[in-house]
Amino acid sequence: MKRRPVLPTRWHPGALSFAFALVFAWHANPAMALDEGEQAPSFTARSLNGTEKVSLSKFKGKVVYLDFWASWCTPCLVSMPLVDELRKEFPDDELQVVAVNVDNDAAKGRAFLQRRPVGFPSASDPGGQIPEKYGITTMPTSFLIDRGGIVRYVHKGFRKADVSDLREKIQALVNEGSVPAKRATGGGRR
Amino acid sequence: MNDFSKRTTRFASLALALGLLLAVTSLGCAQLKPWEREIHARQDMAWDPNGLEAQRRGHVYFAKEAAMSGGGGGGGGCGCN
Repeated sequence: MKRRPVLPTRWHPGALSFAFALVFAWHANPAMALDEGEQAPSFTARSLNGTEKVSLSKFKGKVVYLDFWASWCTPCLVSMPLVDELRKEFPDDELQVVAVNVDNDAAKGRAFLQRRPVGFPSASDPGGQIPEKYGITTMPTSFLIDRGGIVRYVHKGFRKADVSDLREKIQALVNEGSVPAKRATGGGRR
Repeated sequence: MNDFSKRTTRFASLALALGLLLAVTSLGCAQLKPWEREIHARQDMAWDPNGLEAQRRGHVYFAKEAAMSGGGGGGGGCGCN
């Protein structure tokens, strides 16, 4: 008796490839990392101490250093006091440091800040919506945002030696003045 | 249908079934985002929670076992490396 195959034989490799492609596409889920030259997504979140809201738009007109950190991320903890020192080198109306804490348990982030207070606001985002928007691929990641809200530099990871490079980049953005250069020509990328 | 075609069909069906099984079971895997790695970042989740101790044990092991280059270190097993 002739038995019909379930599918024509020549379909099988194609069907298999399709199934695999589907699964890989599903799993790859590439994070769209925010690149230099793109508009920094706005956000508003409750601050880590819970008393106020932290909003990026509030700091438009200043150079913003946006830092993502967590209490379990060792290089993040190294960066916090150093970034705080760096912040003090610039006038308050020129540079604003904004941190986003991504601890699931905000109390852990708060505990670190109690041990080592810093002079800049930390938003609390246990759900990770803000890092998702920014498409960060490593912890810590920081973004230097110019006065017009454009991401000008993305810094991944943190080592003590990075401070001098960051200082130069912040200084360059501060020196641009109130109207960022090259904006009209679609510049801004480095 | 000749024997060859039957075998091919059976093989292809099996491959398809295995592929689908893999596809379905692999959906149980999850990709962690960088900000979700709190548990993975714990010291006891590291391969060698204590790097210095792991290095010391490796050194003793190579010396005692007369093994060479197992952990990237050379030596002849004389116990003097």
